[in-house]
Amino acid sequence: MAEADVTDPVDLNEDSQKTKPKKSSKKKDVSYPLKVVYCGVCSMPVEYCEFNPAYKDCKKWLAENCPDLFERLTIEEEADAGDGKKKKQKRGGRGVMKVKKKAEPQTVTISRIQRQKKKYVTVVRGIGSHDIDLKDAAKAFASRFSCGASVSGDDEIVIQGDVTDDLLDYLSEKFNIDEDNIEDLGDVKK
Amino acid sequence: MFKKFNDKENISGTTQVKSSVIRSIREKLLDTYPDIKDYLDQILPKKEPIKLIKCHDHIEILALGGEPVFFKQRDFFMPTLKLLHKYPFLLPHQQVDQGAIQFVLSGANIMCPGLTSPGAHLVQADKETVVAVMAEGKQHALAIGVMKMSTEAIKSVNKGIGIENVHYLSDGLWHMKALKK
Repeated sequence: MAEADVTDPVDLNEDSQKTKPKKSSKKKDVSYPLKVVYCGVCSMPVEYCEFNPAYKDCKKWLAENCPDLFERLTIEEEADAGDGKKKKQKRGGRGVMKVKKKAEPQTVTISRIQRQKKKYVTVVRGIGSHDIDLKDAAKAFASRFSCGASVSGDDEIVIQGDVTDDLLDYLSEKFNIDEDNIEDLGDVKK
Repeated sequence: MFKKFNDKENISGTTQVKSSVIRSIREKLLDTYPDIKDYLDQILPKKEPIKLIKCHDHIEILALGGEPVFFKQRDFFMPTLKLLHKYPFLLPHQQVDQGAIQFVLSGANIMCPGLTSPGAHLVQADKETVVAVMAEGKQHALAIGVMKMSTEAIKSVNKGIGIENVHYLSDGLWHMKALKK
């Protein structure tokens, strides 16, 4: 969640420096709202990245997205290392944050189920792991194929009618799912 | 409060808030956070629809354009961390030392020694006030808490829970996905 503006990190630095004195009184020369840069990996403000177990990934992200801040951080870190560890207070016990693993994008499977002799429904599974909202997707399918489409369970969408062929193109076009990542299972019994 | 919060499981419903209700909420907010006065129109614009998200355990969240701005459990509204980062003057700032940061970030309550040690800084506050938890050497708040002891008590007793951790970085509310309109 990096909705914070990262386009202008220099400006932000000035802002944050002005607010450094930690008092709850307002500073008149700062305009609110402040802009805060949130890390794209751990979603916290960049200064707290070091507490993330996956700090390396955060650093990578920072180096790519706002090199200015990254440089400053490395300089500070080196200074810290020079000072030695006297300054930092340490405590025992377990206080290590847990990392939530992001679900790996699964393959999307498309299958067809026969309803009656000539009628089919198409079942799409595995879309949710691609960071797509299921409800939105169902709606998009419904309007694209002008038929009924509904979310029918955990990570499963049922589209009324046989749309397997069109769906393959539509998935890669609309949701940017790689075609190699889509599997057509063909006919499946209920 | 939000340690195990999950936006899929813990939300029971969302409703649009009536303008009359919003008016009373605005008044209450002004009452509890007098500093908000000049910015209230920015934070809760009068024209835009505001949603109230009801969750389990009596938690209610006010969201503006899908982004949670205030939350409350039973009685009073508190700003979310995202909002607090934008307007840091909303709450009194209590500072903890560096050693405490990692524990606070995994949701621990703030113990008195972490507030009285050399790296920490205590501001006068009564029991049950909402405070922002800052950290030594950091610019942004890392948690929002409720004082469980007054500042004097923290200094004299120096034991046990000083501030209850209500909302911290990377908890359930922080990770809550923005709602669709």
